[in-house]
Amino acid sequence: MAWDGTLTPMPVNENFVSKIQVFEPHRASLPPLIPYLKEFWNRRSFATELARFNDKAEYLDSRLGKVWLVLNPLLLGFIYYLVVTIIRPGGSLPGLTRLDHLLIGLFTFYFAQNCVTAGALSITMGGRLILNQAFPRALLPFSCAIQAFQQFLPTIPVYIFVLLVGKWAYPTTQVPGWTWNFLWIPFILICTGLTGFGLALVFATLNVYFRDTNKLLTYITRIWMYLSPVLWLPNSLRGNMKVLLYINPLGPVLNATSRVWVSGESLNNSTILWCIFWAVASIMVGGYFFISRERDFAIRI
Amino acid sequence: MPQDLAIRIEDLSITYKVSLEAKRTLKNAVMRASLKQKERTRTIEAVKNLTLDIPHGSVLGIVGSNGAGKSTLMRSIAGILSPTEGRIIVNGKISTLLALGVGFNPALSGRDNIVLGGLASGLNMEEISNKTDEIADFAALPDGFIDLPVRTYSSGMYGRLSFAVAVSMTPDILLLDEALSAGDAAFKEKSFERMRQLCAEARTILIVSHALATVTDLCDIAIWMHKGALVAKGKPEEIVDGYLKFLNVGSLPSNYEDM
Repeated sequence: MAWDGTLTPMPVNENFVSKIQVFEPHRASLPPLIPYLKEFWNRRSFATELARFNDKAEYLDSRLGKVWLVLNPLLLGFIYYLVVTIIRPGGSLPGLTRLDHLLIGLFTFYFAQNCVTAGALSITMGGRLILNQAFPRALLPFSCAIQAFQQFLPTIPVYIFVLLVGKWAYPTTQVPGWTWNFLWIPFILICTGLTGFGLALVFATLNVYFRDTNKLLTYITRIWMYLSPVLWLPNSLRGNMKVLLYINPLGPVLNATSRVWVSGESLNNSTILWCIFWAVASIMVGGYFFISRERDFAIRI
Repeated sequence: MPQDLAIRIEDLSITYKVSLEAKRTLKNAVMRASLKQKERTRTIEAVKNLTLDIPHGSVLGIVGSNGAGKSTLMRSIAGILSPTEGRIIVNGKISTLLALGVGFNPALSGRDNIVLGGLASGLNMEEISNKTDEIADFAALPDGFIDLPVRTYSSGMYGRLSFAVAVSMTPDILLLDEALSAGDAAFKEKSFERMRQLCAEARTILIVSHALATVTDLCDIAIWMHKGALVAKGKPEEIVDGYLKFLNVGSLPSNYEDM
């Protein structure tokens, strides 16, 4: 049975390019970050195509198909507008301005929320991929963030449509015309996406260790929305309550959303800094937590 | 590591704990913390002190009963599972076929799944678009099926498409776990042919198989694993003979304790 150690001479693989990989034990520490990020970047098309195909598969069995991408936000906005106007009849805001704030706030909040909720499930739902392929696991929540962005995009024409119809129906209402301040919108969306992706990394990791994180998340996101300037205006907060705008990771971006989209105003330095702070903090904390734990995922799921 | 080696495994052990709780929930964690109890776990020693060198261009067969640690070993070589002790050094680009249809979405067409499966395996978009027709031809799907959702495929068609995606790559090291069982006799012969072609191109191939004829036909080295440990390594015919004797008699070779 013992092997004599002799081997048949091997043919030469002419396409071979030496690429050494070393796998060693780890203790909840970060793997070498540069190769990890390089691999993440090289395989980004996996995340973008996964998002595109998941989006495609989601609406394949539906008769209305991708019309739901427009119907969903419209119905959502309508429901919350009813809720807000019934709860606060005769509020201080003119109807259209309140609707504008509500719609764009909701759409932006749902962009972040979809990043987090879908991202939180991406690891536990991606069991076969995790068990059978080696790739940077952060690509799965990243793919969810891309999909959330793809689902957010159709809400922009919906918002503009509602704005134009509203202006036609209520000509006296002030709505912003074209202003260079709209150039802040990409900044706001990047910060929202990064914050959502960072938080998705945190919840995706937690969900591997505690499977009911996902159930809790349903309530966490609902409470989170009520604490965010979506159903209420940022400037309606008084005194110490203003802290809600800053301790909430989405507070600054939703505040910025309202200022730019609804009022056409520029952003002040404090709002810009808080937006950047939460985006960077979420990515750093989420990234560290996720990447330092991801080598355990194949065993845990 | 010597340049002629594709894989060097040094004193590899992989141990993991399996929770004995039916569900790992936050409620259970809080209850345990309040009662100052530890989570009830069982330690599994999936691979024990395994040392092995695999030269470039060799075709290694791995045999062993269920629970021998074969799949765990494959996953650790692929970088999916981390070693608990020891280390693995891999020289070359790896492709894995450890399960059929990894990355596939049953609602999407075969064509879409070629893209998804290919990207999951590490191909880029350009490589995939160049190979889509070749993959579809290799899978030998009936006319028009390539554009139908894969949930409408028979299990044989599904297996053939998955296999075709995995072997469309030109990796330096290919890890196959029971994948050669996909499809009917004609497709098996085609799979063998592709394997032989990859061997001729000097790819290093590791095959886990319960079909012992596969090991003797395709491999030039074989190892036998039992309960995580390496029992023997050598020529495939000898390893398969020893393994068959073990299956019939139930006793391990006398030198097992020394391995």
